[in-house]
Amino acid sequence: MNVFLKVALLCSLSVYAWGSEEKLDKVVVEKDLPSIERGAEALMNSCHSCHSLKYIKYRDLIAFGISKQKVDGWRGEQPLDTPLMAQMSEADAEQAFSTKPPDLSLMTKARDGDENYLYSYLLAYYTTAEGVVSNHIFPTTKMPDPLGMSGSPDAAQHAVIEGQARDIVSFLSWAADPHEAERLQLGKYIIGYLLVLTALFYLVKKQIWARLK
Amino acid sequence: MANNIMNWIDERFPLTSFVKHDLTDYPTPRNLSYWWNFGFLAGIVLVLQLITGIFLAMHYKADVAMSFDSIQHIMRDVNYGWLLRYMHATGASAFFFVIFTHMARTLYYGSYRAPRELLWWTGQGLLLLLMATAFMGYLLPWGQMSFWGATVITNLFKATPFIGDQVVIWLRGDYTVGDATLTRFFALHYLMPFVIVGAVVIHLVALHSVKSSNPSGIDLAAKDNIPFHPYFTIKDLYGLGIFLIVYSVFVFFMPNSLMEPANNIPANPMVTPNHIVPEWYFLPFYAILRSVPNMVGGVIAMGLSVMLFAFMPFLDRSRIPGGARYRPFYRLQFYLFLIDMVLLGWVGYVHPTDQTILIGQVATFVYFASFFFVPMISKMEESWLIKRGLPAEVMVLIDSEANEIAKKQLKKNQRNGVQS
Repeated sequence: MNVFLKVALLCSLSVYAWGSEEKLDKVVVEKDLPSIERGAEALMNSCHSCHSLKYIKYRDLIAFGISKQKVDGWRGEQPLDTPLMAQMSEADAEQAFSTKPPDLSLMTKARDGDENYLYSYLLAYYTTAEGVVSNHIFPTTKMPDPLGMSGSPDAAQHAVIEGQARDIVSFLSWAADPHEAERLQLGKYIIGYLLVLTALFYLVKKQIWARLK
Repeated sequence: MANNIMNWIDERFPLTSFVKHDLTDYPTPRNLSYWWNFGFLAGIVLVLQLITGIFLAMHYKADVAMSFDSIQHIMRDVNYGWLLRYMHATGASAFFFVIFTHMARTLYYGSYRAPRELLWWTGQGLLLLLMATAFMGYLLPWGQMSFWGATVITNLFKATPFIGDQVVIWLRGDYTVGDATLTRFFALHYLMPFVIVGAVVIHLVALHSVKSSNPSGIDLAAKDNIPFHPYFTIKDLYGLGIFLIVYSVFVFFMPNSLMEPANNIPANPMVTPNHIVPEWYFLPFYAILRSVPNMVGGVIAMGLSVMLFAFMPFLDRSRIPGGARYRPFYRLQFYLFLIDMVLLGWVGYVHPTDQTILIGQVATFVYFASFFFVPMISKMEESWLIKRGLPAEVMVLIDSEANEIAKKQLKKNQRNGVQS
């Protein structure tokens, strides 16, 4: 390999060394339906009263495979094509928390650290010595502790909360990129096709260039 | 029948002679390495960007109240909209990667030297058009980084003497980046690619007049030139296959790796992101801008850093062929320059601290010094190399080529002599 190529490779690799400076917990994002369904449920219970998911409609949840019964329970009288808007109006939320709760549709893609950020943030709540609830990752957050991490949970409760956080993150990861599974699948076929095509091009190239002495 | 049709056309339009002159008989040096594939690849990426862009424009809405939503509509509801958008966004990075490699090859092998100056300058013009197009396209998703990037860069035009403030307002169409800015950037982002296509035609006309350079740096005699088709059509297709594999890995498996998370938050003029960074391909130039403490100076330095490449035909005074291949000092300069570029890119990316600002200033100095010292070093290197004796292979090549060309000239003269 010549030096030019090596330098070019090093340049492209160095991009990945420039990650975020904060120390985040790593989360294994689940892609299976049960996890995502559990995540949707946890989100409807713990987040949906203030946060919207305006790019997701109830119909999308059913199309993905979440049980119709559950979705019907969540949407009540609203038509299937209603986006998942927050139960609390934006103005009320702003009055209560003095900030607008952000839409969650793209949350796993909107912070440095992606899913890991969100997972770490949900688990970073704690109670200070003065008895005030705070957050390690985002100290100025206005959001009350949604999963109960600040209530000094015991080991068993801790595991449950971690599971909930992982499910919520998995659901939101799907919501941010609903075509991901399709993309990865199609990608495999495309790369396979291109490998064969390129190999053929290489052989034809060798054959044609062999005409030159 | 087919012959008749071709004859009919050829009497009215030089189709056969065009295909002959520019494809089937177009003489191409047989010793071109794979570094010569990147011009073709740039053309392909341009076509990819045009096609995906036109289809995206069918679903995109250039309106501050709708553009962010319309991108999500494309990503979620439009059939294969996610594919179009990821191809287009990755394509922008691919375009710069290909163009930077193409330029690095030109610099390494000295392809900018006589008689290819105009070819190099049309390429330089293409780089500027590409940068402008990419910059305007980045505003269209109307995310936080779109908005603040456009705000910072249009603000630089304040540096214009006397009428700076007016120029900024004129560019934005408003006092701040807003709806007027978005709609005009969209209009121009749709127009510019076609201007680029025109400039590419000029670039190719220039190329087909002076022909490709080659790694030896010596213009090769007829025996070492082979027809473009089929030899280089197949070689370019093979290179295209490799390129498409790498491109597809990004499009399908890591499409978000080149996007800033902050751009998934809708533009908000009231909230400035923690740190505003441009796309990776602008980072070195952005670092140069930030390294100069004075804004006007920074803008001039940034402009110069892009334009200086155009002066290379004048700066490089060595007559040794083959660019860096036979020139150890030039080669060293080339690699130092690449490392300096990467360093500047890193400085442009990180949150500025006293330390990175200092590193950035040193790297900026090295950047300009690399150009400034080319005339002296190239001249000194030339006399040193001649005194020391050029490598035997270069001498053999120069001799054999000179013989070949002289023989051809003799034959031609004799033939002309007989005729007259």
